[in-house]
Amino acid sequence: MLVSRRLLVTVIAWAIAAPVARASAQAATATLSADVSTIAKLTVSTASASFPDADPDAVPQIPTSGGPVLITAKSRGQPGMQVVLTVQAADDLRSGVNVISASHITWTATGAGFVAGTLSTQSPVTIATWTGSGVRSGSQQLYLRNLWTHPTGTYTVSLLYTLSAP
Amino acid sequence: MIRPSRGIVLAAALAVAAAARPSAQGRGGGTPQLDLSVSPASISFPGADPDVMPVVAAAPVIVTVRVRQNSGPWTLTVLAGGDLIAGSATVDITNVSWTATPAPPFQNGTLSKTVAQTLAAGTGNVNPAENGSVTFRLANSWNYSAGNYTQTLVFTLSSP
Repeated sequence: MLVSRRLLVTVIAWAIAAPVARASAQAATATLSADVSTIAKLTVSTASASFPDADPDAVPQIPTSGGPVLITAKSRGQPGMQVVLTVQAADDLRSGVNVISASHITWTATGAGFVAGTLSTQSPVTIATWTGSGVRSGSQQLYLRNLWTHPTGTYTVSLLYTLSAP
Repeated sequence: MIRPSRGIVLAAALAVAAAARPSAQGRGGGTPQLDLSVSPASISFPGADPDVMPVVAAAPVIVTVRVRQNSGPWTLTVLAGGDLIAGSATVDITNVSWTATPAPPFQNGTLSKTVAQTLAAGTGNVNPAENGSVTFRLANSWNYSAGNYTQTLVFTLSSP
């Protein structure tokens, strides 16, 4: 009686366990890795912008003749990083010996993260800030403060745009 | 001494066992013999400018499959352990796809962290072993955070 019970239990246990023990599967593992590097890329729609001549009474703020400067900033960095776009004048506007302060150039801006500002030769001025990686676009409309006191001439200045993600 | 009533129970148990075993033996008269290898076991995507390389390819991986003593179907699947992870940053694993040759038995697909995806399938034996060349590709994006991302892939060759 006892032997038969043990036999029965053994057979049932074998019947249940056998399919599991004979399951046919083989596994292998591999490690996937991706190096996502820090990178930034800045695109400005034009390499030159010009302010046309105008009557100071009629046009106290002269916009650039080509319209707004279109800016695209692409950046990839650490999570939560702050991305900053700045512009700085290399010098004041000069025409021979005549000088117009760079601070007479201002701008308005459109696009998420973009802000209005005034040009400086002393330090970079923020055009836009964002958080994290991504592609951002906006526009910057430059204006020259038109004054009767400006000496006549053709003035030039270089602007340096910098996109950084510390 | 087994009583008649116990004998009926025993016979029923044996019947259950007999019915269960063929499904575990691959219908080939014996347990299918399955062999699987993946080389190299490290799959790396190099860093790249998303504008220049919108899709980044890793070096091909050779997946070797051998199936013996099998007359039923067999399947090779791949399952990701999760998304690509670099610290607190993640890249959805569905951004990784693959192309595989020869087709068949190998096939193209996209990684998943929830459902094992079929990499190859067939019926009967694969003997001698067959080598599949699998090239994984990562959809590159400016939206990814920078970092060194990793994840484990599990390849499973089975004959149900």
